[in-house]
Amino acid sequence: MPAEPIMELLGVDKYFGNLAAVNQITLAFEEGEFFTLVGPSGSGKTTLLRMLAGMDKPTRGDILLRGERVNDRPANWRPTCMVFQSLALFPHMTVGGNVEYPLKCRGTPPSERKERAVRCLELSHLPISYYDRPVTTCSGGERQRVALARALAFDPEILFFDEPLSAIDYRLRKTLEKEIKDIQRETKKTFVYITHSLEEAMVMSDRIGVMRDGGLAQIGSPHEIYSNPVNRFVCEFMGEVNSIAVTRGNGGELWCESMGAAITPPSSVETSFRQGTLMIRPENMRLVNPDEGRSTNVFSGELFNEYVLGSRIQYQIRCKNDTFLVERLREAGLPKSGDQVSFGWNPEDSMLFPE
Amino acid sequence: MFDSVLYRRLAKSYLALILSLMYVPMLIVALASISKSRFFVFPVRRYDMKWYENTFSSLQIHDGFLTSLTVAFCVALISVTLAVFGALAYARHDWRGKSLFQQILLVPVFFPQSVLGLALQLWFNSFGVVMSWEATVFAQLVWIAPIVTLIISIQAFGYDASVEEAATDLGASRWQVFRDITIPLLGPGIVSGFMFAVLLSWGNFPLAYFTSGADVTIPEWLYGKMIGGYTPMVPAVGFLSVLVGALALAIGFSLKAFSGQKDNK
Repeated sequence: MPAEPIMELLGVDKYFGNLAAVNQITLAFEEGEFFTLVGPSGSGKTTLLRMLAGMDKPTRGDILLRGERVNDRPANWRPTCMVFQSLALFPHMTVGGNVEYPLKCRGTPPSERKERAVRCLELSHLPISYYDRPVTTCSGGERQRVALARALAFDPEILFFDEPLSAIDYRLRKTLEKEIKDIQRETKKTFVYITHSLEEAMVMSDRIGVMRDGGLAQIGSPHEIYSNPVNRFVCEFMGEVNSIAVTRGNGGELWCESMGAAITPPSSVETSFRQGTLMIRPENMRLVNPDEGRSTNVFSGELFNEYVLGSRIQYQIRCKNDTFLVERLREAGLPKSGDQVSFGWNPEDSMLFPE
Repeated sequence: MFDSVLYRRLAKSYLALILSLMYVPMLIVALASISKSRFFVFPVRRYDMKWYENTFSSLQIHDGFLTSLTVAFCVALISVTLAVFGALAYARHDWRGKSLFQQILLVPVFFPQSVLGLALQLWFNSFGVVMSWEATVFAQLVWIAPIVTLIISIQAFGYDASVEEAATDLGASRWQVFRDITIPLLGPGIVSGFMFAVLLSWGNFPLAYFTSGADVTIPEWLYGKMIGGYTPMVPAVGFLSVLVGALALAIGFSLKAFSGQKDNK
């Protein structure tokens, strides 16, 4: 029997006036998992998180914590804790004061408080010497760590994160992403993280929920969501993708109007549609050697732009009225901008979404 | 042109002129208070401290000083208390008629004070309230509490409200959030609001004139003596009154400096 979920949402709605910020969400968080909610701004992620933390009440539906309904239980009575987007550190306190605050509220004796605060500082990679520093003298990354230490000091059953890394520069963000993930593994706590950055979601999560217009578009492991998106929205949201508008002929063949060519579809495809979009990830596109003699899904075009992405390189190729992105490893002897190239893809690597 | 020597000299003289226009009268008052003669003649021929001796031994002035001080502190305490909650209501909550209420509340600030004083006197009379320093406290509150609310509101809008939410999320009760987070963060606004209230009340004449009845505040005493029976005790009291204001400012600044120091420890 699978373990009881730590937190469950049953048909949760949140209306602001007539606007449904969160719309009929049913979802369960497993004990000890790292769950990330991703979605564009305005998709309802923060509203959902605020309801989970007890800062807002759902309009309809139930929120269960270990099977018990907690809709009306305020934030200070829930064993959960949130790391805010603004971090919300107490500017008039020292680092130690901030980290100890949840323990102070609980009436923990001072000596015990300090002991625990020091342990939490260590866990979030802050030197103990920071204990007496005013939090206003800390840098952005250090504040991030203070906020994390403060949440850990609370010892919550679930830790919520509201896009805490969005204001941090790329390199530090990468480091902190890994550290947050490590802490999750070490503490075995349930982490629910929200972000609009799919990269962050992919690196850290056990499961991802993709949100759109207040609803959940798809839930699954990072791999599932990236490789088998359920619809065009998820597919486009999870990464760069080439899309081609196609029409299905009577014989089942696909025809691409803009390129004036027939296209071989993936083998497992439903047959009850006329219009659709075929999507292929840039890393599944290949440059084809014209001598290879392959003919399915091979086109030629002009290479008119190249982007170096570290170890990989991305080409922009113009073919008739369409532009394609092709990504591959960087090595010697690659074509240059202005060259005529042939490119193509394996039909099984393409995804077809009927309109 | 702006960096020519002439321009810079002109700018400096202009500044000096403005400053002297502001402060020389204060100096003259100070000089007038130590002139031996009963009437003010300039230049002062003989100096004497007797008017200060008279001032300090005058029961009337003693009473006036106590009345002014009591009124100022009552006004400051009540207006700061009202203002803290008013500011939080503005900065943290949304309610119907919020902006209308704000405008209505601020209107008395723009009334000519003598009109406001008269209006309040008529109002008190019709309710049968006896004119006294307590009535003055009320009258000054009508004018000062909105100003203090504005000052504290600026502070309340000035910090990230999510810190209060974060404290709640970390397990703090409403009272703990108020005590540990809200009050310390509103602190600078509370200190300035209190100082403003004391200073505005201390120097206020028109509202006190209409509402204090038999009680006499320092500005009222000064006015009374100017109308009938000038003695150099008038400038002496005036000068002392300025000193009290300066003292209040100094206390306020040192409080601010002290709290700033604590932050940077």
